[in-house]
Amino acid sequence: MSVSLISLIVVILAVAGFILARRRALAHSGGDARKLHSLPQYHGMTGVLFTVVPAFLVMILWLLVQPIVFENRITAMIPEATAADDATRTLVMADVRRLAAGLDQAVSQGKLREADIEGMRADLTDVRGRLAEVGVALGSNVQQSVFQAAKAYRLIRNTSSLLMTGVVLATAVAGFFYAMSRISVDYRARNVSERFMIGLLALASLVAVLTTFGIVFSLVFETWHFFTLYPPFDFFFGTVWSPRFGGGSTLGILPLIWGTLYVSFIALLVAVPIGLMSAIYLSEYASKRVRTVVKPLIEILAGIPTIVYGLFALITVGPLLRDYFAMPLGLGNSSSSVMTAGLVMGIMVIPFVSSLSDDIINAVPQSMRDGSLAVGATQSETIRKVVLPAALPGVVGAILLAASRAIGETMIVVLGAGAAAKLSLNPFEAMTTITVKIVSQLTGDTEFASAETLVAFALGLSLFVITLCLNVFALYIVRKYREQYE
Amino acid sequence: MNDMRIAERDVDSMESKITARKVQVFYGQNHALKDVDVDILDKTVTAFIGPSGCGKSTFLRCLNRMNDTIDGCSVKGSIKLDSEDIYDPKVDPVQLRAKVGMVFQKPNPFPKSIYDNVAYGPKIHGLTRNKAELDEVVETSLRKAALWNEAKDRLQSPGTGLSGGQQQRLCIARAIATSPEVLLMDEPCSALDPIATAQVEELIDELRSQFSVVIVTHSMQQAARVSQRTAFFHLGNLVEYGETGQIFTNPKDPRTESYITGRIG
Ligand SMILES: Nc1ncnc2c1ncn2[C@@H]1O[C@H](COP(=O)(O)OP(=O)(O)OP(=O)(O)O)[C@@H](O)[C@H]1O
Ligand SMILES: [Mg+2]
Repeated sequence: MSVSLISLIVVILAVAGFILARRRALAHSGGDARKLHSLPQYHGMTGVLFTVVPAFLVMILWLLVQPIVFENRITAMIPEATAADDATRTLVMADVRRLAAGLDQAVSQGKLREADIEGMRADLTDVRGRLAEVGVALGSNVQQSVFQAAKAYRLIRNTSSLLMTGVVLATAVAGFFYAMSRISVDYRARNVSERFMIGLLALASLVAVLTTFGIVFSLVFETWHFFTLYPPFDFFFGTVWSPRFGGGSTLGILPLIWGTLYVSFIALLVAVPIGLMSAIYLSEYASKRVRTVVKPLIEILAGIPTIVYGLFALITVGPLLRDYFAMPLGLGNSSSSVMTAGLVMGIMVIPFVSSLSDDIINAVPQSMRDGSLAVGATQSETIRKVVLPAALPGVVGAILLAASRAIGETMIVVLGAGAAAKLSLNPFEAMTTITVKIVSQLTGDTEFASAETLVAFALGLSLFVITLCLNVFALYIVRKYREQYE
Repeated sequence: MNDMRIAERDVDSMESKITARKVQVFYGQNHALKDVDVDILDKTVTAFIGPSGCGKSTFLRCLNRMNDTIDGCSVKGSIKLDSEDIYDPKVDPVQLRAKVGMVFQKPNPFPKSIYDNVAYGPKIHGLTRNKAELDEVVETSLRKAALWNEAKDRLQSPGTGLSGGQQQRLCIARAIATSPEVLLMDEPCSALDPIATAQVEELIDELRSQFSVVIVTHSMQQAARVSQRTAFFHLGNLVEYGETGQIFTNPKDPRTESYITGRIG
């Protein structure tokens, strides 16, 4: 039975559970809901929860574990796959699955009978030809071992599906009757459904956390792989980045880190003063009317897609900087430059700084300002000496958020700063960042297991570590000062 | 009220420091103060009493133009400090507030060290020439506010880490550190224990030799103990203003009498 059919049956059972549990609770109380500990719908709810939740949990678990079990069983049957590495194992498994699907199709079209398949041997029958008749094209002739594996695969799959149907439905039914049996006048159905809810919420957050761990784990795993192909020392301390598809590349991360930090630095140089000052203006000086108009306008900046900023950098800012600054100053004639990308990115992150800082400055209590004004301080003295220090942790948080945003940005860099990895101090030269290189390494046409491709994971992990450090630092600052100020 | 010992009544000076005439305050549509006329004498302690919400804080805030910071608050009438109208456009409210200091109803220390809290005003106005002088100002202010003994070993720790009563005294120290001519105190003792209250009252009496002090209080005993003049507010009106002894022993208005004997409020 298919998963959706099973789900449908479970859901129908649950609906029945709701109605019956509710009716049963009412019957127990003699029709007077006030005698019940919990309202009838909570009894109904327990009917639903006990039927659905365990059954679906079992099903999800089954579906997660199933492929692993299959793979182990099947690869064990194929001699060349057991010893070989991951890649061939995956390939063989794909073959087996395709073959099994072909056999399924042949059976469903009536070209083959289950009994025939049982007796068929790949070395005696032209399996490839037979399958081609039903419209399943195989790349090469079928080996006997693979054919046997495919047969076995079909067998386990069918048993597993049958077993799963049985187990899931049994769980649902058991849950259903359990729920019914518990209903009584004093049954705390309300508390029980409350606990189920807590469980579900916790499960949801667990999924989020596990996903994060999964991402990090896969990054670490592939990075490890990369370091078996390329020496870590050369990666972390190499000053040259020149990947050559086909081997013999030099993959030093330093020029990329430099480019990333340089671009982000310029972006912050633009965004922090402008953002902070506009936040101060908006929260301390602007009238309510100005505020309600200007604040959303600034926030629009955050909503513009980065590719649009990229175009702006490529077509307007880049040539402008080249013609009016770089060329007259003799600093080069490239229209893509760190400066271009940094400036445009700075504009992009202004709202991150200004909007958050504005909220934070507004959160500083008015009594603080009153205290300062009452000893005869001017408004700007009050802002500098009382409001900003009090808002500092939040402002730092806002700045670091903007920084992480800048570090992770790709599109503006590609179009604004180019894709050439370089270690240079000249801000009018083209450079590039980690994210850009991750994209270009993965979109190249090389095999997946080469150092040139795997380096993307090492880059990704490095980027992750850099932003993580930034965030930890931000948290530290915020914690440290918050204690003092509240 | 037997425990009400009434302080010596001789006022050192009969000169008015602040003259308020026909003061009206509106918070938007809410008419919070109606036609208030008061002469606050120099070198005198004036107490404002009255039930909650009657406009005592509002009037106090008019005297150093702290109402300017409240949206929708408008002040009409004339308030003169040393015969200069403080609501005149020529007057710089910042200068005014340096002369008319204020202690708020709720303690509001800055999130800075105790030392920096007190040194804040003197630093802004450049009242001291060097660190030693500043140290001295901080120490005398803290001593006067009866906080020195508790704070002298922790001058560098944050002012917000003090207890509520200590914070209130810190705010008093902050306000007197700039030596204002008039000191406005909005219920300065509401969070203090009897000992600290007695010390603050002593301070108020001491300050009287140099400044005029206006104090808002809900304690009739306190008003009687520290003030020479008392003003009774009710529902936005100044009901009665006069010599403290007279207000407490022989009030002219029946509302004043019922308030001080505890029947309204
Ligand atoms: N910021 C404000 N905005 C609007 N209305 C206000 C504001 N501050 C005070 N009011 C109103 O003005 C009136 C007087 O308030 P005020 O704070 O002066 O009372 P008070 O006499 O100091 O009372 P309490 O003894 O409780 O401190 C009240 O009706 C109050 O609602
Ligand atoms: Mg008040």
